[in-house]
Amino acid sequence: MKLEELKDLADYAINQARLAGASYAEARIHGATGNESLLKNGEPEPAVLVESFGIGVRVLAKGALGFSATNSLDRKSVKQLTIVTVKMAKSAGALLKKPLTFDASKPVKKKWKAEEKQRIEGGDVRWLGSLLREIDGRLTSEEVGVKLPGRFLTAGTTLEEKYFVNSDGARVESRVPRVHFFGILTGVENGETAQRMIQQGESGGLEVVERLDLVKRVEREAKTLGEVLRKATKPPEGTIDIVLSPELSGIAAHESVGHPQEADRILGREGAQAGESYLKRDSIGLKVGSAEANVSDDPTLLNSNGFSPVDDEGVEGKKRRLIQDGYIREFLQNRSTAAELDVTSNGASRSVAFNREPIIRMSNTFVEPGEYTFEELLKEVQLGVYFASFTEWNIDDKRLNQRYVGLEAYLVEGGELKGLVKAPVLEITTPKLWGSVKARSKRMEFEAATCGKGDPMQGIPVWTGGPDTLLSGIKLGSR
Amino acid sequence: MMEALNELAVSTAKKLGVDDAVALTSQGNERMVRFANNSLTVTKNMKETELFVYLGKDNRRIVAATSNPDESSIRAFVKKLFESLQSLPKGSDYASLPERARHYRPSQMSYDKKVEAVGTELSELAGEAIESARKNGGERSAGAVVASVGTSSILTSSGTSGHDRGASITLNIRSFSQDDASGHGLSCASRLSGFDPVEAGRRAGENAKKMVGAKEPEAGEYEVLMSPTVASNLVDLIGGFSSAFSVEAGISYLVDKLGKKVASESFSLSDHGRMDGALDGRVFDDEGLPTGTTPIITKGVLENYLHNLTTAKKAGKASTGNAGTISPHPWNLEVGRGDSSYDEMVKSMKRGVILTSNWYTRFKNYRTGEFSTVPRDGAYLVEDGRITQGLKGLRVSDSLERIFSSTRLISKNREWIEWWEVDTPTLCPWVLVDGVKITRAYE
Repeated sequence: MKLEELKDLADYAINQARLAGASYAEARIHGATGNESLLKNGEPEPAVLVESFGIGVRVLAKGALGFSATNSLDRKSVKQLTIVTVKMAKSAGALLKKPLTFDASKPVKKKWKAEEKQRIEGGDVRWLGSLLREIDGRLTSEEVGVKLPGRFLTAGTTLEEKYFVNSDGARVESRVPRVHFFGILTGVENGETAQRMIQQGESGGLEVVERLDLVKRVEREAKTLGEVLRKATKPPEGTIDIVLSPELSGIAAHESVGHPQEADRILGREGAQAGESYLKRDSIGLKVGSAEANVSDDPTLLNSNGFSPVDDEGVEGKKRRLIQDGYIREFLQNRSTAAELDVTSNGASRSVAFNREPIIRMSNTFVEPGEYTFEELLKEVQLGVYFASFTEWNIDDKRLNQRYVGLEAYLVEGGELKGLVKAPVLEITTPKLWGSVKARSKRMEFEAATCGKGDPMQGIPVWTGGPDTLLSGIKLGSR
Repeated sequence: MMEALNELAVSTAKKLGVDDAVALTSQGNERMVRFANNSLTVTKNMKETELFVYLGKDNRRIVAATSNPDESSIRAFVKKLFESLQSLPKGSDYASLPERARHYRPSQMSYDKKVEAVGTELSELAGEAIESARKNGGERSAGAVVASVGTSSILTSSGTSGHDRGASITLNIRSFSQDDASGHGLSCASRLSGFDPVEAGRRAGENAKKMVGAKEPEAGEYEVLMSPTVASNLVDLIGGFSSAFSVEAGISYLVDKLGKKVASESFSLSDHGRMDGALDGRVFDDEGLPTGTTPIITKGVLENYLHNLTTAKKAGKASTGNAGTISPHPWNLEVGRGDSSYDEMVKSMKRGVILTSNWYTRFKNYRTGEFSTVPRDGAYLVEDGRITQGLKGLRVSDSLERIFSSTRLISKNREWIEWWEVDTPTLCPWVLVDGVKITRAYE
């Protein structure tokens, strides 16, 4: 199915919605095609091909918001759908306490695409399968030094294409190819097991595979798993310093800064599902961290997994400074939360598919880099633990009480990395974590992740990342 | 229309020379009213058709899904799939579809036409839940009412055919009182007559009110009484771990446990393709085999993994009718009924915690089943059989095997649960567990 052939249908839907009485209408033709290869313990599982095109229509009618979607892409079906959307929204008006409004964001007219050197369409299942077999070959070689009886590997390509129009005059067309990899390695040594989940992904064409250096990366993770199983010892107890790697800095930024600064959570819209926030509508300017706490979200990062320079409400995206020098600076906004909070949308509204409404999402959330080298950062630590990677993690739904369990983690003594320690637990409140940031390194790295939110659920591609982050005076636990 | 799409896909595949082919078309309509702060946030109406195709030839397998299965494009879609299939390496796990053709009629269970007809009434049902919560102490409520209907139709290259349909209506409501104290309520039913938004709202409101003044607990080991909502979150995970695919991949704590004790004798778990009152499932699976009842854990002993044809062949077993072609999965889970009442369970607790809702369950290691999960909404300290205090800021940190091996009591009453944190509809009782590790943030 070609996006070009369906554009008229989006314009048609807008007109039908206005005729049915909508004060605002938008339509999004949203398509995704993809290939996925799976290898389980060296054996190929069925390859997977997916193609999905449909239309999502959103309206405001008598101040009520209605969303509908279908993949029956003919005028009759779309007309019927649009009329029902407006009718449902109007009929629910008795439940509406306050009419919803959108801000006056400038409607964007733009055609944009993610940078792509080798077109994604060349990434067929045979090519992906060969890549996985090469990785698996390394994992079963003697050089890895650990038995890996569980090896589940997947690699895939997707192409996401969208055409968005709304009754305010926005008209946006986009093309985002992505390459992704996911693996779960289970290592066994002397009856003990350890597991590592690896997720990597970027926007871009087939050149992404080379950039990610997957074969070496996964082999390195497998070797580390063996080291953890053989050498890790009990971590130190008591109050010590913690160094978070870019992987840990990223997940902490995502979970305890990005999520609580989603304005829809703050206003209560996700209360029954993803939850609310420890922050309130008047928390801009609140001190939540040390002067070294600086966290941002940026949808414009080239090659990023969360690349979305124009959002799914037709608003230009821009870098958002979430925490600056320890103070809450900005929330993630869409057009309705911006109107409610009397600000302007910063283009954070995204949808994963034609059958999902756009909601406020992070894009690429990260701790800002500092001035230190990694070695200089370690020199600040007399007794501490360096968390290089993590396994189990979670956080409460107000984003106050979080936990990260280390997988690859090292004792730091006298400013130097020592041996591996086993399953250290960082269980900490958000103000304590960000209030303890003492320094940050220069190096920046990003991990791919799939962020879940919404009802029905939407798993959206994001990056999490940052530099090494030094936290001072932290009570450490162990599993 | 669905039969015609299947016929076109399978006949095209057969002409191309495949050994095995399955076409499975599903049509669904989901209507939803979401609310927050006692006010409407959005109405939703999603109508979709999807065609799933499986092809196998010469020990090669491929699956595909298209959401645009119009007759003009199906031939080209299947041809493209066949070309990709031929380029794949051969696997050693190939299992042919059974030669015997079966013909399925829709189950008469669990389909209520009244759910199909529900439309604008959804916002009234949401209003009833909000008002009930408000009357019982929930000052503001958020949630969603969802009415879903779906039909699936199958045709295989062996001639197996049939269709089935299902319907459900669910409400998830969360109420807030002073200081963000919160409570949770669910109503999950396959029939409109069994749907009770007022009761769900009452529970959410009452718990929100009772949680005002909640305190953080001391870390340590406690008896924990899990509500059906909390227990079914963990049981749903066990259902996934019982998939032979998870076991083969080493991402299950049930590896090498067949025939062994994995839970206390009071705990039994089974899966049902169809069951009266169940919210999901069908009479046939994705490979055209009949679904049925599969005991997974019987009196604490792991009795079966869930299989499709491929995993069953490797294990020297018969398929349990749980395909997913790639990964077998449960349809509707049922935890066996116990003989305790809720009051008896609470009275039996010396120093324990009651949990009514949870979220964000994550594993340190799927192979060992070590996990933590974050309780939310109503959570209460119990001392000498009496609720004495609301609790907040706690976390359960334990392992699935240890928890279900330390199950002391199970309630007579059970509820169907399906919501944000429970994917597989689960008929679940209250479950009382000894010695559960509770942690909290250090600062």
